[in-house]
Amino acid sequence: MMHIGKWALLLSIFWLLLSGYIQPLLLSLGAVSIALVLVVVKRMDRVDQVPKRISSGLALFRYLGWLFIQIFISSAHVSKLVWRRDRKLSPVLAEISVQNIKPSNRVLYANSITLTPGTLSVDLDDNVVTVHALQATSVDELKQGVMENKITSIWGKNT
Amino acid sequence: MFILDIVSSALLIAGVFFGLTGAVGLFKFPDFFTRIHAASVTDSVAAILIIGGLLLQTSFDLNTAKLLFILAFLLITSPTASHALAKSARHGGLLCLAETTNKPTDERPHD
Repeated sequence: MMHIGKWALLLSIFWLLLSGYIQPLLLSLGAVSIALVLVVVKRMDRVDQVPKRISSGLALFRYLGWLFIQIFISSAHVSKLVWRRDRKLSPVLAEISVQNIKPSNRVLYANSITLTPGTLSVDLDDNVVTVHALQATSVDELKQGVMENKITSIWGKNT
Repeated sequence: MFILDIVSSALLIAGVFFGLTGAVGLFKFPDFFTRIHAASVTDSVAAILIIGGLLLQTSFDLNTAKLLFILAFLLITSPTASHALAKSARHGGLLCLAETTNKPTDERPHD
């Protein structure tokens, strides 16, 4: 019940920020749509057995700050590859273990890999993510596990 | 205000540069998977820089919140779209450059 309340609060803030109108008609329309979503969430929880909890965004912001820096570094790298006359591309496919990362964070990990230019997650199986990289060095960096350690240090390791 | 304008234009120009880089890379790179890498430059860094530049042009009201929502959704959807493209190409049997140069081409990577 607690997390339904949290969802209600989050969705109300979302609606108000998107609409910005404080008129009775629009507010009531918002209330109706939020109620509808909450009913769906409640019914889904019963099927799912794993209620989707809302955590505080602080950890995520810490991670995003770090990720943005990584994105800038690797974009500069890929841009250099694009503009250089002699193309030294050595695309590789590699499999990287995600066993240490909690299942709920694996999508975040795969998306972070795709989001940093130069590496692309092609497939996410049970315990490995298949990565396509423009250069072998970026695969080595992933295998060293800097990004993995960042995620596990914020959200904890898979036990 | 003047300083904000300068920072904002710098971010916008950098964003346009990276967008252009992505487009050029899309033509220059040799195969499908490497081209996705070029497109992801536009997806990630150009989007962040351009929206960052626009954020500084707002007067920090509702529009700021809306721009932040756009950025958040872009950062979730664009890698997902790239992943979906790459995954379906891979499962459809498209080989990447490293495999086509080393192995006979009639072999499929996955079942």
